[in-house]
Amino acid sequence: MSFTKTKVSTSSNAGPGKVRNWLGRFEWKASPYLYVAPFFLLFSVVGLFPLFYTAYIAMRQYNTLTGDSGLAVCGATCGSSGSVGSWFGNFSWVLHQPAFWDALRNSFSIFLLSSVPQIIIALWLAWVLNANLKAKTFWRMGVLLPYIVAPSAAGIIFSQIFSDKMGALNVLLQQFGMNPIMWHGTPFWSHIAIATIVNFRWTGYNTLIFLAAMQAIPHELTEAAVVDGAGKVRTFFSVTLPLLKPTLIFVIITSTIGGLQIFDEPQMFHSGTSGYGGANRQYLTVSTYLWNLGFNNVTIGQPNLGRAAAVAWILFLIIVAIAILNFCLTQRLATSGEAKSKKKKGRA
Amino acid sequence: MKTKAVVATMASLAMLVGFAGCGGSDSTASKKSTSSNEKVTIKIQTFNNFGFGENSDTAPGADLYTKYMKEHPNVTIKPTVAASSDDARAAFNTAISTGSGAYDIYATEVDWMPSIMAIPDKFYDLTSATSGNDWADWKVAAAKSADGKLIGAGTDSGPEGICYRADLLKKAGFDSSREAVAKWIGGDSATWDSYFKAGEEYTKKTGLPWYDSMSAVYQGMVNQIEESYVKKDGTIIATQNPDIKKAYGQLTATQSQSAHLAQWSDDWNAAFKSDKGFATTLCPAWLVNNIKGNAGADFKGWDIADVFPGGGGNWGGSYLVVPQDSKVKEEAAKLVAWLTAPEQQVAVFSAASNYPSSPTAQKDAKVADKKDAFLNNAPVGKIFADRSDAIKVVPYKGAQYFDIQTKLADALNRFDVDKSQSADQAWKQWTNDVKSLS
Repeated sequence: MSFTKTKVSTSSNAGPGKVRNWLGRFEWKASPYLYVAPFFLLFSVVGLFPLFYTAYIAMRQYNTLTGDSGLAVCGATCGSSGSVGSWFGNFSWVLHQPAFWDALRNSFSIFLLSSVPQIIIALWLAWVLNANLKAKTFWRMGVLLPYIVAPSAAGIIFSQIFSDKMGALNVLLQQFGMNPIMWHGTPFWSHIAIATIVNFRWTGYNTLIFLAAMQAIPHELTEAAVVDGAGKVRTFFSVTLPLLKPTLIFVIITSTIGGLQIFDEPQMFHSGTSGYGGANRQYLTVSTYLWNLGFNNVTIGQPNLGRAAAVAWILFLIIVAIAILNFCLTQRLATSGEAKSKKKKGRA
Repeated sequence: MKTKAVVATMASLAMLVGFAGCGGSDSTASKKSTSSNEKVTIKIQTFNNFGFGENSDTAPGADLYTKYMKEHPNVTIKPTVAASSDDARAAFNTAISTGSGAYDIYATEVDWMPSIMAIPDKFYDLTSATSGNDWADWKVAAAKSADGKLIGAGTDSGPEGICYRADLLKKAGFDSSREAVAKWIGGDSATWDSYFKAGEEYTKKTGLPWYDSMSAVYQGMVNQIEESYVKKDGTIIATQNPDIKKAYGQLTATQSQSAHLAQWSDDWNAAFKSDKGFATTLCPAWLVNNIKGNAGADFKGWDIADVFPGGGGNWGGSYLVVPQDSKVKEEAAKLVAWLTAPEQQVAVFSAASNYPSSPTAQKDAKVADKKDAFLNNAPVGKIFADRSDAIKVVPYKGAQYFDIQTKLADALNRFDVDKSQSADQAWKQWTNDVKSLS
């Protein structure tokens, strides 16, 4: 307050004071924006520019090795009209590929199989860790341990476990007289295996985020609920969960983005050197498809990078759409029923 | 508080390591020099086993890098071995397209050469640097651009014999001597039919697989077809070629003889020493390294027969190329010339099993008289020389060859390994895959 007062008093002075006053006001108003500017400058160089440049490449016949050779075409896949150039040529080529739709199906399936159990288990673990345990720090560090393991290291370990013939899990199953599971053969089992690798790494990480949010919930709220006669389960669903809403939205959105872009795990899960994503595309995800198209199968004369760019943009749009949907759903989930939780949140 | 301190220490440690890493790579990248005494660092990417590195059980080698660095104290060689040839190719494609100069020398497989030949301007002409080297004519032809530049310097070649498990054959009551096996498979007039006939006999008697993987056997078959997927005039004939269709049909009819393994998979690796493993595998010279690595150098049982179905065949064999965007092209070209010179090819074959592509090296006594203790003291020098002479067809591989071949291997794996499709379904999906390559 005193600061503004002195400003007012100097403003009545002559010339140089005016300039200083103007500068002062400028600093007051603009400095917050200047402080955040470096991030946005950097983001526009390494984030926005590639985004739009990818859009440009997606409209061109662009080969990884030989470069740009005109407006995009759809090729033989689209039949007789395939040789006509148009800006959406690459997009219609991608949408005509059964491989793309398989990849999309797999990405969603792996995302659901990993994110849903992961968030539920993370919530439960956080709730347990939030209780009075002995050697708290030990347990809390323990759940984070798998996160420290590099994804490719985890991938290698799990690809040994999930090997079709000599894998640890199948050997174990056969010991009990059961049939071995062809982990790489069918979409379902390969998705289960990959989701396991993802959950192994990320559950602990999400647990810690939930735990931090739970610790920020004031004790008097839960105590008041207990005094009112609510059991542990009721307290969790009616007090803790609604107050976790912002965290829940954050975790769900980040795991959606991560889940739909999943790449390392299916790549490492793959055994052998050709046909990434499985010979019958059992676990080909959109990112693996994109990489395969853009950087692995570089047939001269094929606009492969343009098509990979088109895949990237389609994936981007899907993720944006899902994120918005998530946001709406989570908002409803956390506010529904509990009108008083809104008040509490306002106080917190 | 304690955890905070631990995290802080770890973070600062990680940063230190990170900075050190950056520093290291920066200094190597900024070194650009060509004069003979200035320090240069040459980065080379290979895959599988080229036999250039230090000798070990899993990766036999002639320790050539150390030798070169000793002779040229100003040169530091930084080798990287990619996990697989596909990984190497993806890294290669990315680096060449962006001009990142990630490596100064790349090892490239013979199947990639056609697509490299389509962009000769991105590579350094090795003609003058390698003027003292000699190669078989077909080896040079595949690496020469239309305007006469030599893009790749040949390392090894891949003449194929048949490697077999003498222990398994003996256990099943077959004569397991090299001569007997060669005769059983068909001797000098061996065909794919006679190879599969022997297989049927073996599989019927033992219930064990005869060969490892359909996509592996198919490699042997397709390398005997002169124009497989692309005609010499550039038209793609893959899906209409009767020879391909015939090979595919002949191979997929032998399902009972396959071990249903995907090549290079963990299961495939493990089967080399298994009691229930496959009895034979097509055996280009360089594969002996992998067999040794997978079975273990002490494993007794593998042997090699001087025979190959359908005449001879060459599978693989590689080149070294130097990209134009390398900062030490001249020095890199010198190293390439040295590594691929006949003396070094001899050294590599003596230590590892990569058969020379240089006629001088092939005639060298150390090569011609080599016996391999791992393969029951088989005279591998003589066998691979015979197999090399038996090659009658130099297959033409157009720019699209590699990707079409990869898709066909996928098709075979769908039928053979996953069993997710019938042979017809897999073929049909492959024709669509080929269509989408345009």
